[in-house]
Parts: sequence; C-alpha cells; structure tokens
Amino acid sequence: MRRIDAPVAAMKLLIVEDELKTAEYLQKGLAEQGCAVDVAHNGIDGQHLALVHDYDVIVLDAMLPGIDGFTLLRALRQVKQTPVIMLTARDSIEDRVRGLHDGADDYLVKPFSFLELLARLQALQRRGRAQEPTQLKIANLQIDLIARKAWRGSERIDLSAKEFALLAVLARRQGEILSKTAIAELVWDMNFDSNTNVVEVAIKRLRAKVDNAFSPKLLHTIRGMGYVMEARDDAIGDGLDEEDAR
Amino acid sequence: MNRSITRRLVVMFALGALITFTIVGAALYGVLERELTRHQNDDLNTNLQNMRYSIERFGDLEHWPRLQTKMDTLSPADGSVRFWVLSDDPRFLYGKGLDEMERVNQGEAGHGTLTLPITGRSYRTLSMRIGAFADRPPVRLIVGVDTEPFEHTLRAFLVALTLLNLAAVALVMALGWWIARIGLLPLQRLSTQARALRPKTLSQRLQVDGLPVELEDLTIAFNGALGRLEDAYQQLEAFNADVAHELRTPLANLIGGTQVALSRPRSATEFQETLQSNLEELERLRSIVNDMLFLARADQGEAATGLTAADVAHEVEMTIEFFEPLLDETGTTVAIEGELRTQATMNIALFRRALSNLLQNAIEHSTAGARLVVTISQRAGAIWIAVANPGATIAATHLPRLFDRFYRVDSSRHDHGDVHGHGLGLAIVRAVATMHGGATVATSEAGVTTIAFSIAAA
Repeated sequence: MRRIDAPVAAMKLLIVEDELKTAEYLQKGLAEQGCAVDVAHNGIDGQHLALVHDYDVIVLDAMLPGIDGFTLLRALRQVKQTPVIMLTARDSIEDRVRGLHDGADDYLVKPFSFLELLARLQALQRRGRAQEPTQLKIANLQIDLIARKAWRGSERIDLSAKEFALLAVLARRQGEILSKTAIAELVWDMNFDSNTNVVEVAIKRLRAKVDNAFSPKLLHTIRGMGYVMEARDDAIGDGLDEEDAR
Repeated sequence: MNRSITRRLVVMFALGALITFTIVGAALYGVLERELTRHQNDDLNTNLQNMRYSIERFGDLEHWPRLQTKMDTLSPADGSVRFWVLSDDPRFLYGKGLDEMERVNQGEAGHGTLTLPITGRSYRTLSMRIGAFADRPPVRLIVGVDTEPFEHTLRAFLVALTLLNLAAVALVMALGWWIARIGLLPLQRLSTQARALRPKTLSQRLQVDGLPVELEDLTIAFNGALGRLEDAYQQLEAFNADVAHELRTPLANLIGGTQVALSRPRSATEFQETLQSNLEELERLRSIVNDMLFLARADQGEAATGLTAADVAHEVEMTIEFFEPLLDETGTTVAIEGELRTQATMNIALFRRALSNLLQNAIEHSTAGARLVVTISQRAGAIWIAVANPGATIAATHLPRLFDRFYRVDSSRHDHGDVHGHGLGLAIVRAVATMHGGATVATSEAGVTTIAFSIAAA
C-alpha cells in the first residue's frame, strides 16, 4: 500500500498490546508511516520500556497480562507526561472515565480502525503546533480560509458553506485519508457511524465542482477506507489503483 | 429443616397440641389436688370431732382407758390414721413418738403436716386444745392422716397425664403430617408440571383448573412469567438467527473473495482490489458489531450520559443540514413544524444519531421529490420528534415490530444488499429513546408513514 501520509513520520512510539496479531499489524503499519515503533507484549515489559525511554506517544492496551494498562498508566504518570492513547475492548463509561482520570490523553474502543488510530496520533502531534495557515495550496487549487473562497487556477469555484467546510477539512489534512465517519464528524459534527451515503453524495458533488473540469485530480477515493486530497504525480483519476507510491 | 412446609406444619401442630394439652393437664391436676386435700381435711375433721366429743364429755381419769381403746380402734393397723394426745399430766398422754410430737407440733390448733422420724411417713394433721374436765387437765388432741395414698394418687395421675400428653402430641404430629401431605398435594402436582418445562416446551403452561385459591394467584403469575419468558426466548432465537444471517453475507463474501484471489497468481493490483473489497465487508461487520454492542448496552438499562441542555429545533436543523447533499440529490424537502422553542436535556450525539436514522429511513422509503415533515411536540412530560414521509402504507401488523432488530417489512428486501443499513437503524432509535426515558411509536395511514421517538422532558 502506498504511504498514507507523513504527519506521523519520525514519531517514536511504544505499543503495549498482548494480542500478537494486533501488535504486529500496528507495528507494521506505523513503521511504514515512518515511525520508530517499539512493542511490548505485557505490562511489565511495557512499563519498563515506557519508563526507560522517551516516546512521543504510547499506545496502551487496557487489558494486559502482568500489569494492566491502568496501573501502568498511573505508574508512568508519576514520572512523566508522555502522551498515551488507551485501547479498550469495552466501550464502558467506567473504562473511559478511569482511563482519562488516570491521565490517558485519548482513548479508542476496539475494534478500532487503523485510520482512526492514525488520526488520533496526528491530532496528538498537531497539539500545540503553530497556528494553522490561512491559505492553502494544493497543485493549482487555492483556498483562502479567512475569505472562505477557493480557486482552481484562476477560476473561482462557487461553493456552499458546507461544501467549503468539506473542502477545507480535506485540504487541511492533505495526504491524510479521512474516513466517512471522520468527515461527518469534522464537517457536520455528527459523532457516530451514520450508516448513510450522505458523505459519498457530498464528496461526489464537491468533486463535480472542484475536480471534474480540472486537472490534476486532487480528490481521491480510497476504496473501503475513505477519501484523501492530494496532488499525485500521475493524472489518472479515481477508482484506479492506488499504487503510486513515491 | 425449616425449608419443608410439611415439617414446619407438623412441628407447629405438635407445639400447639403440646401447649393445649399441658394447660388442660395442669388444670386437671390442680382440681384433683384440691379435691383430694378437701377429702383429707374432711376425714381429719370427722375423726377430730368424734374424739373431741368423747374427750370433752367423758375424758376423766376413770374413762381414759376406754377412750384409749376407742382411739386404738379408730387407728387402722396400716397407720393411715393416727391419734395423739398431749398433756402435762403423763397419765393422759397417748400415741407413738410423743417426744417428737411435742417438739414438732407446738403450734396452736389447726392444720399442719409432720413427718415421723422413724418411719419417715408424712401426715397431714389437725390439732385442737380441749379444756379441763373433772380430774383431767387440758389436753391437746392431734389427728393425723397419712399423705402417702394422696401423693401416690397425684403422682400416678401426673405420670398418666404426661404419657397421654406425649401420645396425643405424637398422634397430632402424625395427623398433621398426613393433613399437610394431602393439603400440599396440588403443590406437588404443580412442581411436577414445572419440572417438565423445557426450552422446547416453553409454550406449555401450568394448569390453573382445580387448584386451591391460595395457589391460583401464584400459578397465574407464574404462567405470566412463562409467557414473557417465551416471548423473550423466541425473540432471542429469532435475533440470533438474524445476527448470524447478517454476518453470514459479509463473511461469505470475505471468504469467497479471498479464496478466488489466492487460487491463482495475480498481479498486485488484483490483490489490492480484493483487499479493498474485503475492507468494505469488514467495515460492514464492524458497523454491525458496534451497533449491536450499543443496543446491548441500552438493553442493560444504561441511561444516556453527557446530557446537555439543547434547543430541539436547532438539533433538528443541524441534522437536516447533514442530509442536505442527499436531499438535494433526490429533490426531497424537509419542513420543521410544531413547538420550535422546545428545550430539552439530551446527549446531543445520540439525539442526532436517532434523528438521522429516522431521516435516512424516511428518504429511503419515499419517492424522489417528496416532502418530509419533522414535527416537534411536547405532551405528558415527553418531547416527541416525529418524522413523516409520503410512501407506501405499512400494514398495521408491522408497525409495532418496526423497531425490532433486523425487522424488515418486506422480507424480500432482506438480501438485496441495502448498503446504507443493516436493519438496526430503528432499533437504535428506540434504544436512544429508552436511554433518554422516552418511547417510540410508528403510524402509517393514507400513504403517510410517521415514525416518532420521545425523550423525557427536563
């Protein structure tokens, strides 16, 4: 698979996860994103690594052999403030409260998607970063976030408020794959799996205005995962292979 | 021990009998004792008066031997009645063991008891002083009646009473056990019937006919519980089948697609397509599992958390705005009507989720260009949000079941790969309503279907 993007690149991560298959794919996926990834399969090793090394983010499973995730987190918090994303199997409120109370920075319920984890990592990395730009430029697409206007080359694109919001969300995270759920949340503040094709339709309509009459194509569909906005070397449209790794 | 009703009844019968018989026995014993005492006292009195008369009238020295003979005659050989005469003049003394008598019975005239030191026999006594007569100084006459026969009778009576009491208690216990067994027979029949109940025979009910009144209520209540259990069980069975069915399609696609992909050498592009297709199926599975977990939590009675005060109409507008691309695409319009100033306390994400499911449902089931109406109303402590869409009228039999998981009005649509839902949308609406202390209702008349949910008014 092509690299999704570079925002999480160069992060040093620790994954503490006893489920071998999960740990394996997380390590592989994150390493391919350019992260340096250490893995611990139990709480004791995890705690040791977490205390000895300085990680950018620790991905921590709540249920672990040896020492459970909450205990590890409390021990860690007495020493340092490494950002922690907790993984829990149950979406119980107690777990959430407990995790956040113990100092977790974020929280994912299994089964979570890899994209979701990437998004959370990116959010943690964005945290405290310099202010967002007011102008975005991808190939010949230009977006003025203050005036809420967009151009393709010299041609002004007429967008509704929500269409602009959708474009801005995609453009701000250029190169980052956004799932339909993430888009619904970022653009419409709908925080749930909506089971509707609203986002598909919205993307289709946005594409008609932003992409169809122009080149290069910028708004791409990643089948089964979501959408990404980026300038690609080739000018082939969507739906074809995504093999164009750099 | 106390767990058995029969045993408890028997013990209680026995206790009751024991108490009753003991009280009656004690009373009888008291009566007998009093009668016997009276009888003895009469005896004493008769003897005393008899001798007193003789001593008073003829008791001079000349007649004394005759009186002694009379007293000898009146004293039976078994010593059951005895006479004593005490006097300062030794010539007028009479009776055995007089030394002791003087010490023992110094009292004035009247009743008393004494125990003879040698034989150890106890006597009930009556004594009186008799004035001087002729050459005789005053004497003291004492009559004694042996108490042994009296005490013997009392003892024998007591033993008989105790034995009879015990026998009676034993009899009552036996009868009580029998009565309890007979009385509890219907209960045994019930438990035999209840034991025969199996998951396969959940439609069976316990027989109410011929049951005693006391058991009738219990049995009817039990049958009611059985009915509810049967419903729940059948729902669960159907539900399990539905879940399996829902999961089977994506699983079959995954397995088949992967098998085909691996069955011969392929290019990376082809494998990539397989993986993408698999991912879509997997997302579908994940979505079903997540929704099921959500419904399970609502079923367990989890209430909505993260409640905030919100303007209902605003939330409705926000949700409709989300649907705008889809509404534009199908030419559908949505109107908001009713009490637009209503405020509510709710979990906003859950509220939007419920409403978006209703809107999705309404859009899917109406023809292009339709006009949907969202009505906000407030009644009886609840805020109702109703979504009405023009569309084919749904038969009344389906309406209450619309909110069941995986329930589809048109079963032929089941396998048509409806990509936007998996039959849990309205179940989620109901779960959200329940979590907010509300309810759901569906109506369908004259080509307009209205589905509504409520949340408790703050």
